[in-house]
Amino acid sequence: MRVRRKSRGISEEIPTATMADVAFLLIIYFMVTSTFAATRGLDFALPEEEDNPPMIEKEESVLIAIEPSGQYVVDGQPMELGDILEYLKPKLERNPLKPVIIRPGPQSSYGYMVDVFDELRQGAERGIEVKNISIPTQREIEAFWD
Amino acid sequence: MKLHASKRQDAVIPTASMADIALLLIIFFLVTFQIEVDKTQVTLPATGIRLEVPEKSAYISITEDGMVRVSTGEEISQIVPMADVATFASSTVARDPERAFVLKADKETPYRLVDQVVDALKLSQAKTIYLLSEQEVVVGGAADGGV
Repeated sequence: MRVRRKSRGISEEIPTATMADVAFLLIIYFMVTSTFAATRGLDFALPEEEDNPPMIEKEESVLIAIEPSGQYVVDGQPMELGDILEYLKPKLERNPLKPVIIRPGPQSSYGYMVDVFDELRQGAERGIEVKNISIPTQREIEAFWD
Repeated sequence: MKLHASKRQDAVIPTASMADIALLLIIFFLVTFQIEVDKTQVTLPATGIRLEVPEKSAYISITEDGMVRVSTGEEISQIVPMADVATFASSTVARDPERAFVLKADKETPYRLVDQVVDALKLSQAKTIYLLSEQEVVVGGAADGGV
C-alpha cells in the first residue's frame, strides 16, 4: 500500500487580520470611558504663616463687597464688573501695592467672586496690575476687624 | 498570433498596517489618559486666566447644594461632612507640604460654603489653591476696550 506523504506544510504566517479589530475595539473603549476633564484654573496663593503679619487698615485698602444679587459694591459705590479696574487705576498709580480686598457676602454665589478675582488678575494684561489681592475668610474678618 | 489572457488581479485592500496604526493610537490614549479622581458634576465658573493644575493635586469639590467630596489626588474622591475638611486638609499638608489643592466648586455654590473650605485650607497652611474653571468665551473681544 502506498502511503502518500502530505507535502503541504502548515502555513508559517501569524494571522494578524483580526489584530486591527481588537485594537480598534480597545480604542473605542478608551474613547468612551475617558471623560474630558477640566484641569485648569485660577491659582490663588495663600499667605505664608508669619509671626507678624502686616496689618492692613480698612481705610487704606479698596474693599470690593459682593451682594447676594451679584452686585459689586466698591468702597461703598455700586459698580459694574468692567468698571472696577478703571476705578482702581489712579489708586494703583499712586500706590502700586494698594491692597484690594474682595469680600463676598455669605449668601452671594462663588461664581461672582471668581469673576471679580479673574477681572483683577487680568488687569496685568491691560497695564493695571493689581499686586495685592486678598480674599479674607469670615473668621479672619471677625478676628481682625469686627 | 497568440493572445495571452490577462491575469486577473485579486481585489485586496492591504490591511496589514491597520493594526500598527490602531496600536499607535492606543499607546497615545494610554499615555495621555489621566485618571479623574473627582467625577462630581458641577458647572464651573468661567475665567480668562487658566493655569494648568499640577499633577497629583488634592481635590475638594463642592456642589451647589453643599455636598463636599475630597481626594488627596491618589484615590477617587469621597463624600465628607464639611466639618472634616479641616482634618483632611491638615493631614494632606502634613504628608506633603507642597501639595496644591484644587477647589472644584459649582458657580452657584453659596460663598459661605467656599469660605469654610478656604478657611480650613488657610488654617492647615496649604500653600496654593487652584480654583478650577472653564475657558471664558469673549464675545466681541475687539469691541471690549473701545466702549
